Amino acid sequence: MGEMLPGTLDMLILKALSRGELHGYAIAEFIHRASDDVLGVEEGALYPALHRLELRGLVAAQWGASDNNRRAKFYTLTAAGRRELARERDYWTRVAGAITRVMRTA
Amino acid sequence: MTSIFRRLAALVRRRRLDRDLDDEIAFHLAMREQQYRDGGATEADARTAARRQFGNVTAVKERTRDVWLFGALETVAQDVRYALRTLRRSPAFAVVAVFTLAVGIGGNTAIFSLVDAIRLRAIPFGAADRLVTLWGTMQRAKAERRGTSYPDYLDWRAGTRSFDDLAAFDSQTVTLDTGDDPERVSGECVSASFFPLLSVAPARGRTFRADEDAIASPVRVVLLGDGLWKRRFGADPNIVGRSIVLNGQPYDVVGVMPPGFKGLSDRAEVWTPFARYAPAAAMAERGNRGFVVLGRLKRGVSLDAAQRDADAVARQLEQAYPKTNAKRGIEVSSIEDELFGGVRPALLTLMAAVAFVMLMACANVANLLLARSEARRRELAVRAAMGAGRGRLLRQLITEACVLTALGALGGIALARAAIPLLLAHNPIAFPSFVAPHIDARVAAFTIAVAGLCGIVIGLAPAWSSRGADLAASLKEAARGSDGRASRRIRGALVVVEVALAVVLLVGAGLTIQSVRRIAAVDPGFDPQSVLTLHVSIPAGRGLAEVREIVDRVGRVPGVSSAAFGSDVPLDGRAAATLYSVEGQPPPDPAQFPRTYAHTVSPDFFAALRIPFVAGRTFDDADVRPSSQAIIVSERIAKRFWPGQDPIGRRIKFGMLPNTNPWFSIVGVVGEVKYRGLPDNPTADPDVYAPFVDRRSQVALAVRTGLPPSSVVDAVRTAIRSVDRAIPIYGVATMGESMADQTAQSRFLMWLMGVFGAVALLLAVVGIYGVMSYLVAQRTREIGIRVALGASGRQILSLVVGNAVRLIAAGVAAGIAGALALQRLVASILFGVTATDGAAILAVTLLAIVALAACYLPARRAARVDPLIALRYE
Repeated sequence: MGEMLPGTLDMLILKALSRGELHGYAIAEFIHRASDDVLGVEEGALYPALHRLELRGLVAAQWGASDNNRRAKFYTLTAAGRRELARERDYWTRVAGAITRVMRTA
Repeated sequence: MTSIFRRLAALVRRRRLDRDLDDEIAFHLAMREQQYRDGGATEADARTAARRQFGNVTAVKERTRDVWLFGALETVAQDVRYALRTLRRSPAFAVVAVFTLAVGIGGNTAIFSLVDAIRLRAIPFGAADRLVTLWGTMQRAKAERRGTSYPDYLDWRAGTRSFDDLAAFDSQTVTLDTGDDPERVSGECVSASFFPLLSVAPARGRTFRADEDAIASPVRVVLLGDGLWKRRFGADPNIVGRSIVLNGQPYDVVGVMPPGFKGLSDRAEVWTPFARYAPAAAMAERGNRGFVVLGRLKRGVSLDAAQRDADAVARQLEQAYPKTNAKRGIEVSSIEDELFGGVRPALLTLMAAVAFVMLMACANVANLLLARSEARRRELAVRAAMGAGRGRLLRQLITEACVLTALGALGGIALARAAIPLLLAHNPIAFPSFVAPHIDARVAAFTIAVAGLCGIVIGLAPAWSSRGADLAASLKEAARGSDGRASRRIRGALVVVEVALAVVLLVGAGLTIQSVRRIAAVDPGFDPQSVLTLHVSIPAGRGLAEVREIVDRVGRVPGVSSAAFGSDVPLDGRAAATLYSVEGQPPPDPAQFPRTYAHTVSPDFFAALRIPFVAGRTFDDADVRPSSQAIIVSERIAKRFWPGQDPIGRRIKFGMLPNTNPWFSIVGVVGEVKYRGLPDNPTADPDVYAPFVDRRSQVALAVRTGLPPSSVVDAVRTAIRSVDRAIPIYGVATMGESMADQTAQSRFLMWLMGVFGAVALLLAVVGIYGVMSYLVAQRTREIGIRVALGASGRQILSLVVGNAVRLIAAGVAAGIAGALALQRLVASILFGVTATDGAAILAVTLLAIVALAACYLPARRAARVDPLIALRYE
């Protein structure tokens, strides 16, 4: 995940959490799978990003038990996080759309 | 805000956080390994693969921890970088703003370092917060400070309960004779309790024992200061026990005080026991008052409580000894007030003035930022449209202001570092030697606080003006290049504030300058031009004949036109007061008891100093003899007791009636002299002059010269030494210098207030010019339309100037109101001026003219707007 567009990792994390509570590993897995393994190197980069989002109050964290009954830290989206995700999605759509249009011009 | 709390919580629970992070990552790795194992990998391969996919675990942990510690700083750093980049793009703006702030912050830092140095913690004595001085007081029109007598001191010491101890002390000057070149040395006579009270221990030997401090003690002991010990005794390690000669008498050295200790007088180099203060008979007299008492409050006793305690003792003494102690009180005053009380009002005034300068600097920079933020409105609107939050934009503006002030603070500290030595070098106020203003942590903290505050103030102006600005409207407005109404109001307010502050500062500067001029214009009652004064100490065994010989030889020095002598000369601080009685008068009310400063002088004293005679004559040969009964009085005595009558031949005597002192007949009346201080004597007591007929150990010379007085100093010294090589000469000063010393504080104040006033004027001009130029530029289109519709240049001019005049008038009115309100605070440091003084009116007029001139140029530019260009301008 180290080689993504700058600033997009946060957006992907928020997107991952938009479907419910997940721990870090599950978020990494979601990004792998949802992107057909296009986005997926250096999983460690996830953690500074997750903690930054927690600090900014966009996600909340809670310790709980995983499926295999290990102690794991679960993240959920906060209301602010939901709003931020909406903003980022709009922005991304606009920019990506614009870039796509630019690249299509012959 | 919440993120700050989360961060603080994280700092507190740091270990826990670290552990959690370890767990979290371990969990991730374990899950990944599990996945690889499930896919058929060996334990070791799964482990390696999981780690490879995760990346550097330590680095990740490090970065995650940094998020908690520095997360917010990251965005701050981003903002700062952005601010610096914006500033680099407009260097002229940056330079003007930073320099303006540097002047304001630097001035505040420099003056604050002075104020901060003048405080309790600078006093180099233990428990300085509990040290007090006890003055004897005499209730006259108001309580006047006097010294006290030894019997009173002993009773105070025995009767009060608020003090750890009391100590008697007085400064003295002694002649130290080590065989060669005798020297006059400053010293103090102190009671044995003095050193323990100040918590000062000697570097060598010991301090005085109580028995050495007993009246009529036969032992003569002395303590030396470190400087004197090194200078005159080559730092002799065996000094303790040696005998030295002071005032012609042998004294045993019992100790040496540590370096830097100069006693309470801040210049003492020798200390002798208080018992040696005066002859035993004089010490026993309750009415013979002349020294001050040092005390240390018991822990937990307030100054008020101590004062009440002392009042009670004074009342008991009043009842027990009505003859000597009627109307006599005690004043307890903190050592801090004693040492610093005199300069504090002036320094606080300066602090206020420089704070005003700072506010003006802020207003100017806020103005500049405002103009920039208007110009950048479109940029900000675009950024807002791109999704930057309002908070973020606000923070950006404030960050920019803070970056400016941070740079200003750096410049200010550099400026202050340069200014403080300059201030001290030109500072004519005699600060105690232990006062050393410099930039320390406290001053730096003050500077940072000031800078932070003005960063917020100047950042808020543009932020406030853009508050609630609706994006679409502001985009359109920016496109039109017109000004928001809010920011126009702010800008107007800034002009008003700036003019008001400038008025206050200029009035202050005008008044201090006028005050110094008034002081300089005060007639001292004598002619100080071309007068040199000096003091000699007459060795034991030498008498009046030698004094006459000395004065005679001084009088023959080329360039000297006349030389006279006396017990003291004006402004040398050696005059002593005494009570007197007038023949044939009813006994006066004790509160009005006549008191005078008595001097003994040679007959030509009045001629040498050009003190005018109102009536009668100076002493003739018949008057100048032992037990002479002639006296010359100052005008005030004649006016008080014989108004409209001839005072010549009337008689007065020293002391209260009845007593056995001889009567003196008045032979002459001279004008009042500012003998003891400028612009006025501390008390309104008159002076009397008796003929100099008895031997005195100290003699003052007044030398009138034809040449500049300082040019004859060496020749005068040589002439005196030609009589006797062993005569110490001291206190050499031209009368001009003595007078300058008296007005030092006023001149210092004038100098700085003048600088602040000039800076204020400059800032006001720059500020007003900036605002008016900007307003005209903003309204170019509107003006163009008006011109196109037929408005004349004159109408445009009056439109722009009228607007400015309203703002300036409001500012001047506010400033005058402020000056009147502040007048009371500075009244104590001004002499003979009030806020309605001509100088103040002049200052206000000057400002108004300059302010109008500052808006004339922009107004003329407006009047010349070509409507075509103006309309095409967009």
